[in-house]
Amino acid sequence: MPEIFINGQPYEADPDQTVLQVALANGIYVPYFCWHPQLSVAGNCRICMIEEEGRGVDIGCNMPVKAGMRVLTESEEVRSHRKAILQFITLNHPVDCGICDKAGECVLQDYHYEYNGSPSMSGDPKVRSTKFYDLSDRIVLDNERCILCSRCVRFTHEISKSHGLGIEQRADVSLVRPSTDGSFRDDPYSDNVVDICPVGALLSRSFFYKARVWYLTKTPSVCPGCERGCRIDIWHRKPEWQVQSLDTGENTAIARITPHENSEVNGPWICNKGRDLARIFERRRADGAMLKGKPASVAEAATEARRLIKAAARPVALVSSWGSNEELEAFRASLGSMFTALVKPDHLPAAGEVLEDDLLIRPDKNPNTGKARELFGTAPAVIPADADLVLVWGEGCDFSKIPAGARIILLGSWLAPENGHADVFIPVSIQTERSGHYTNCQGVVSGFEACFPRAPGVADAEALFAQLAGAAP
Amino acid sequence: MKHLIPEFEALKTRLPPGLDSILVLPCLRRIQDDRGYIADEDIDGLVEYLGVPRIQIEEVLTFYTMLRRKPLGRWHVQVCRNVSCSMRGAEPLIKHLSNRLGVKPGETTADGRFTLSTVECLGSCGTAPVVMVNERYHELQDAQSLDALLEELK
Repeated sequence: MPEIFINGQPYEADPDQTVLQVALANGIYVPYFCWHPQLSVAGNCRICMIEEEGRGVDIGCNMPVKAGMRVLTESEEVRSHRKAILQFITLNHPVDCGICDKAGECVLQDYHYEYNGSPSMSGDPKVRSTKFYDLSDRIVLDNERCILCSRCVRFTHEISKSHGLGIEQRADVSLVRPSTDGSFRDDPYSDNVVDICPVGALLSRSFFYKARVWYLTKTPSVCPGCERGCRIDIWHRKPEWQVQSLDTGENTAIARITPHENSEVNGPWICNKGRDLARIFERRRADGAMLKGKPASVAEAATEARRLIKAAARPVALVSSWGSNEELEAFRASLGSMFTALVKPDHLPAAGEVLEDDLLIRPDKNPNTGKARELFGTAPAVIPADADLVLVWGEGCDFSKIPAGARIILLGSWLAPENGHADVFIPVSIQTERSGHYTNCQGVVSGFEACFPRAPGVADAEALFAQLAGAAP
Repeated sequence: MKHLIPEFEALKTRLPPGLDSILVLPCLRRIQDDRGYIADEDIDGLVEYLGVPRIQIEEVLTFYTMLRRKPLGRWHVQVCRNVSCSMRGAEPLIKHLSNRLGVKPGETTADGRFTLSTVECLGSCGTAPVVMVNERYHELQDAQSLDALLEELK
């Protein structure tokens, strides 16, 4: 293990590492635009300049480690280079932070404050370029803000492999453009380029002009879109910045979803389906318990459900593959001995959805099938013909397959026509209102936390199961 | 483009295996020599033949101004506007040619005879200003000599 000296302090380094990697691994601040830990070294932005004592400055991202080398990350010379480079990078940048969605989490802003801080020295007018260019119906590109770091291009070549983006033309008229064969539009991972864009050039249509990021906070969660269970951050309004008037629905709305970087499951990436979870979580909710379509309190409904369970001779339960580990275990502990439990896929692949690939996407579109099957077996969710009571937990049940005459207890979250036909319907909370864990297809357990308070009139499934078993009032 | 594939195969034999994407540039040049420009079907054919991502060919095509996506006129008049030629009067010459042919640089006359272009250094600074018509250099040009040249080419 070679030892190198950064700012006079010795650090252990791997012979394969670059000086930038050693510095970052040891918490030493070095700015970078084009370098990304998951992508190849492009070396085009030049901002990660590091001085090797006695040898001058060079880019840290491409500087191999040599035993005994002495480098400086913040010397006068390094700082003056960075200042000059920022003058160059912002030569044609519009500096329109006031109307840019990236403001507040833009490294160009950060570095400009840190190293430059002075207006452009150029007397020439800035090069005008394309604004609001639709790279796809999901992503909008502002070519004036683009600093041509090529992270997005390398992402499509090296990670998503769609080869969907390239840099066309040259010099100060260079443009990031999608391939004309539409491969970027069809790239199921395309939205990651918005995250890795170091400036506000690539922006998400769904988050476009929606919120300033400093009004938002993120809650760690798990994507339920498939059995990969990617770790995500759900962004929503900070409690201290709740909207008091106008649309108070904003307070419990998902502003955007980004990957929660981790090495066990999904690295820094998620697929586009994970970005669109608001479409799943923000469907119209079922907001009250019902007995055969007539409104009732949750307590009344639970009492009736308890009565039906006691009276049943052959009760069958369809267990949700969207239940958390805690809920599934609570179901087994409270109701497992009373029911023949079958694990049901709550969601099947939608038409046109990518079924499976070799990056993240998995064919089972439910987050916790593995854990549910571990607890309740792998028998297919076929309701036996002699069942006289069917408890359905979650979505995805074909009600025409329930034997005629069997009573139905339905625990659901969404507004659906079936809710009113069930003998007992009890609304339950959704993932964004509770905490828990999912076990993914690799056996990795990931936790999610509540983003919003539980909707009024809605029960927590975990507590409800004990109530149905008669243990709690 | 299909009839050029034997030539491309010969180029391939000069490369180590796995580096076929390097052939994008020589193939495009050969196609342009053959057809005069790069047509959409040439891009499709090359994507299929070389197995490279389409965007790679699109990047090369837009990077090099010498690669053309449209046919040229019979005579391609290229006026150097780099430092030496500009100092020796290239800019008025471009204006003169533009007026005379009735097209702006980059355009082709309606009769398809002339395409006017401006180019960077042709490497003949000692005889500036230089105008290159198709493959031939015309050195030490002025308005009169160019008028005579155009008459000759008509």
